[in-house]
Amino acid sequence: MDQALQHLVNGTVLGGTYALLGIGLTLIFGVMRVVNFTHGELYTFGAYMAYGLVALLHVDFFLSLVLATMLGLALGALIELVLLRPMRKADIDSVMLVMIGAALVLQNAGLWAWGGVAKLVPTPFAGTPLVFGPVSVLPLRLFVLGVAATLLLVFWLLLERTRAGIAMRATFQDAETASLMGVRVGWVHTATFAIGSGLAAAAGALLGPVFMVSPAMGDLVGLKAFAIVILGGLGNLPGAVIGGFALGYVEEFGGGFVSSEYRDAFGFLLIILVLAIRPQGLVALKERVG
Amino acid sequence: MLRLEGIEVGYGRVAALRGVSLEVRQGELVSLIGANGAGKSTTLKTISGLMKPSAGSITWDGQPITGLSPREILRRGIAHCPEGRRVFPHLTVRENLAMGALLRHDKAGIAEDLEAMYARFPRLRERAAQAAGTLSGGEQQMLAIARALMSRPRLVMFDEPSLGLAPNLVEQVFEIVQEVRRQGLMVLMVEQNALAALSLCDRAYLLETGRVVRSGTGAELMASSDVREAYLGGRAFAA
Ligand SMILES: Nc1ncnc2c1ncn2[C@@H]1O[C@H](COP(=O)(O)OP(=O)(O)OP(=O)(O)O)[C@@H](O)[C@H]1O
Ligand SMILES: [Mg+2]
Repeated sequence: MDQALQHLVNGTVLGGTYALLGIGLTLIFGVMRVVNFTHGELYTFGAYMAYGLVALLHVDFFLSLVLATMLGLALGALIELVLLRPMRKADIDSVMLVMIGAALVLQNAGLWAWGGVAKLVPTPFAGTPLVFGPVSVLPLRLFVLGVAATLLLVFWLLLERTRAGIAMRATFQDAETASLMGVRVGWVHTATFAIGSGLAAAAGALLGPVFMVSPAMGDLVGLKAFAIVILGGLGNLPGAVIGGFALGYVEEFGGGFVSSEYRDAFGFLLIILVLAIRPQGLVALKERVG
Repeated sequence: MLRLEGIEVGYGRVAALRGVSLEVRQGELVSLIGANGAGKSTTLKTISGLMKPSAGSITWDGQPITGLSPREILRRGIAHCPEGRRVFPHLTVRENLAMGALLRHDKAGIAEDLEAMYARFPRLRERAAQAAGTLSGGEQQMLAIARALMSRPRLVMFDEPSLGLAPNLVEQVFEIVQEVRRQGLMVLMVEQNALAALSLCDRAYLLETGRVVRSGTGAELMASSDVREAYLGGRAFAA
């Protein structure tokens, strides 16, 4: 029981960052119909930016996280403007190939710039866990969860409460009609890709200090992001949050109670199960047409 | 005044409009009728900037607006209420109306217009917080019309506003169209229901395979034999 509580806490911490990752990817797919293979690389990018800023440039840890996220936003905007915007009319296969190419370039650029050896991001947090009864948690992890939850909340408020957020959701649902309302669909695409990338970079910058940072870390993370998005239903934002937490818990409980070596496999097992039973994802969209 | 001259537009290599010229003058309600695939919707899409013409020109108040973006066209006071209602299904009714006023920044004016829409369409007020996709077809059409009007246009284009509605709702929709025109807006309306379209309008154009083949007052078109045979079922207007 105590052990289960501990896994619940760990799963929640992991789930929060997974949710960030999933929201970014599903948002990009939902608005742009782009299967974004660079997502994992943006995560890696965020982690390395945090490392570079904190370990090499000795920038304040908290400021570094903000800057890493901003840089992720900027890199996302750049990718959209340079690669995706000229391909607006291209078919989905060509866009996918270009995105795979971009991911390869990003990963190898990272390897070239940072070297193959895994890095540690120093943090100002104490290494001794906080103990709450039967559960103990590292202060850093608690911080990560707090930031992830705050980012999710801010993102949700922006989307629900602001004019830009409403315009973005409208574009998500019907781009042509949104353009008739005066929405500049091209800029919504750039903003969407930038925000999605920024969220991935934020997840990387947050988890980088928890784990190690290495150039190929984006591969598995990218796969997991796709798992989360598929779990929640493609293009479904609440679904991505639920999918993120579902994956976090499955990994934690599977890794804790069954086999820690197959930890990563449990998530993919879950997707296979969900796809077999509910191919539309865990959360179906309610909609009435006509 | 809106004037189209020799507009040609295609989808890929397929020509949809082959030289369309028409006008909507100050205070007019103009109908555009024609068979399925004649190019009625394409005409509206070209005016609102969704499609770029390959030839011809569009002027609005004497200024060229050919090839401008939908945003720029809307800014100049032309709103397009598209075929098939196209409300944003997962946005609430209120958010859909807010989308109509997206380019406006006069908060007080927007609130005033919103109130006017709710007063005119009480069902929309009742359902203000409900997702538009859960409304009935008729309610969705009212919402689509109200949304188009929220931009405070000077010309509003309706594409088959009566499509798929029950007869009593069809009548309501046409009443609204006439109200809009009485408020001084110019109206360009595409309608399958040629009888209604011709009896409401000041002038009308008949499109066939991307060309204007007849134009004149509603009464003139109603009296012309080919319109009667093709669109009014012939016999009904023998008297
Ligand atoms: N998205 C599209 N892609 C290719 N061709 C199209 C497209 N939309 C319309 N067309 C073609 O362009 C022509 C004009 O179509 P348009 O939609 O303007 O007709 P319409 O008069 O509005 O017809 P309806 O009464 O059925 O709405 C038709 O031949 C149609 O097949
Ligand atoms: Mg049409």
